[in-house]
Amino acid sequence: MTMASSRPRQASRRSGWHLRGSAGGTFLLIITLLGIGAMYLAVSARAAEFGRQVLTLESQREDILQGNAELTAQLALLTAPEQMLARASELGFKPAGPQDVDYITVSGYQPDAEFLAPRPPVSGDIGQTALSPAYTETLGEWFSRVLGTDE
Amino acid sequence: MVLGAMGLVAAALLIQLIRVQFGPYAPVFAARGEASLERIERVIPDRGLIYDRQGRLLATNAVMYHVEIEVRQLTERSRQDIAAVLSKLLVLPLEDLHSQLTTDWASLGQFRVRLTRLEENGVRLPLTIDQTVAEVLNGFLADPTAPDLSGLSLVAAPRRVYPAGTLAGHVLGFVNQEGKGFFGIEGFYDEWLSGKPITVERPLIPPMARLQPDPPAGVNLVLTIDAEIQQMVETILAEGIEFSGAESGQIVVMDPRSGEILAMAAWPTLDPNNYEPWLEVGDEEPVISPAASGQYEPGSTFKLLTMAGALDSGAVEPDQIFIDTGEIEVGGHPITNWDGNAWGPQTMTGCMRHSLNVCLAYVASEELGAADFYDYLVDFGIGQLTGIDLAGEVPGQLRTPRHAQWTESDLGTNSFGQGVSITPIQLLAAASALANDGAMVQPHLVRQVAGPQGNYWPKTTILGQPISPETARTITAMLTQSLEGETQYARVEGYELAGKTGTAQVPTDVGYDPNQTIASFVGWGPVSDPQFMVLVRMDKPTISPWGSVVAAPIFQDVVERLVVFLGIPPDTAPVQQAALP
Repeated sequence: MTMASSRPRQASRRSGWHLRGSAGGTFLLIITLLGIGAMYLAVSARAAEFGRQVLTLESQREDILQGNAELTAQLALLTAPEQMLARASELGFKPAGPQDVDYITVSGYQPDAEFLAPRPPVSGDIGQTALSPAYTETLGEWFSRVLGTDE
Repeated sequence: MVLGAMGLVAAALLIQLIRVQFGPYAPVFAARGEASLERIERVIPDRGLIYDRQGRLLATNAVMYHVEIEVRQLTERSRQDIAAVLSKLLVLPLEDLHSQLTTDWASLGQFRVRLTRLEENGVRLPLTIDQTVAEVLNGFLADPTAPDLSGLSLVAAPRRVYPAGTLAGHVLGFVNQEGKGFFGIEGFYDEWLSGKPITVERPLIPPMARLQPDPPAGVNLVLTIDAEIQQMVETILAEGIEFSGAESGQIVVMDPRSGEILAMAAWPTLDPNNYEPWLEVGDEEPVISPAASGQYEPGSTFKLLTMAGALDSGAVEPDQIFIDTGEIEVGGHPITNWDGNAWGPQTMTGCMRHSLNVCLAYVASEELGAADFYDYLVDFGIGQLTGIDLAGEVPGQLRTPRHAQWTESDLGTNSFGQGVSITPIQLLAAASALANDGAMVQPHLVRQVAGPQGNYWPKTTILGQPISPETARTITAMLTQSLEGETQYARVEGYELAGKTGTAQVPTDVGYDPNQTIASFVGWGPVSDPQFMVLVRMDKPTISPWGSVVAAPIFQDVVERLVVFLGIPPDTAPVQQAALP
């Protein structure tokens, strides 16, 4: 056997192993990239889904608040003094004069507490306060939280 | 060759990408991209609510809808159907609506147009609908078999609602369509009630969605007004207007110990839900909240202050005798009594009982003197704002010796309330000193401010002590006798009250009107422990010019009901005793 004939076999044997290794690495790279892409798409889709829910819920909140305001106004209309006076008259009541009233002093009687108006809500960036740390923490912070919990 | 073609395409794409990213139109594309992600929006908070002292809502918020059309979505059929439906639902002229729907808005560069309605005075106002009509229209929009309303859009907007209608309308004022308050409480506290609008970036795509902050809300107010007492007073005022034929009138009820206004009624009434007619008064400023903005010459009710000042200074005593000859000259100006008669020997109490102009002019000019007289009037707050929390208060007019136009004759006429202008609130504040041991309280209408950060209760403000407690009690006793004797129409059985009638001439450009008057009455009680003051003013009554005939009975009617609302037993009635188990 000559040197020339042995070299190609060694080369082909080296080439086959190298080629198979390169193909495997490329395949792994493609799989990894596909996996990362799939994860990104999944997370984006979830974010879009929850974002849509937030927008929908905000719109519903607005509708509910408007509905509440409308109902409050309607209730106030129905119980306005003029309406109540008319209904009292229909039921046969009439305004009392001083001669119609008997006064009784009751020792220990506590009159009803005076009306206290409700306070309007305090404004603020509720987005900041309502977000879970899962949405804002970094990977390192997550590791620390998990390890801290485990220990 | 295929590879070459693909390479060319890829190269072209790359070049185009670079052009878009870095070329001259890059900022334009970037701006359009940004605009499609978010919209800058101004968020207006809900306006604060207004309650009466018992918690009944007097002013609240609801929703109205502006009716808009998206021009590019209109069809021939939808133009007809929209006009027909709106015309029928809202009782509007079909032609006007059709005209708005068929206008070539696109050529004017407008693609979204708000529909309007034409008022009788020729002004065009935005077309607005309430929730009920909005539900009907939304039902049509969702129903494919209903009239074609393509292009119609309903835009929600806040609407101020006053559930009690005209009740306390002059106290509340109103809010216009832009959400700004005018007159009354709405005007005075507009900034507090409005809250603070904020600007937010509202995301248009879901991935950028986030919770939006709420704007700082307006405060809620609790008034000192009791809606039931207000209703009672307004009913009595309306009956009084009908009975007397008066042109207008006011009744104010106040607690002299604190200055809390329990009721403030005015006729003609104002419905804040429909305020536009009040703005159509030509060149004149509309007189809303006339108790604080409607000045007038008070007439004989002003004698309270003249006599109080004279007693306090020691210039006169209650039993001091004055010989009334029927006429006196002050500064060259002759002054006579209301009936032109001479009343002979009268005590100061008698002068008040019979409301003698001659006697009071004598007291002011001869006993008290100009300097002291006007000093007392200034101490009583005449010619100055009371500071009541109502928009539009005016200070009235008082000419003193410091003014160049003042003459000595003013001293004579001012002593019985002519030649001087005040508001009902000013007189009530001044007279509160007589009912409150000399301490003059500031009238006010708000008893609680409920804000996001906490509650605030305005305290009673004492404007001054123009007279001593002894003087206050002395003049109250004089007026109690006066009411018992002369002003019988103001009496309420079982209750000791003090008060004074007033019949003032009405000034015109050429002197005083000989036929018309302003009839009034101011009183308080129970005398032993005053818990209320009532002022009645009736302008130009036709049935009789006299305060004792027109205003005093109205005072009586109000007090008869008021003592029941306030739970004030008669001075002489037996009160049963009981104890809780």
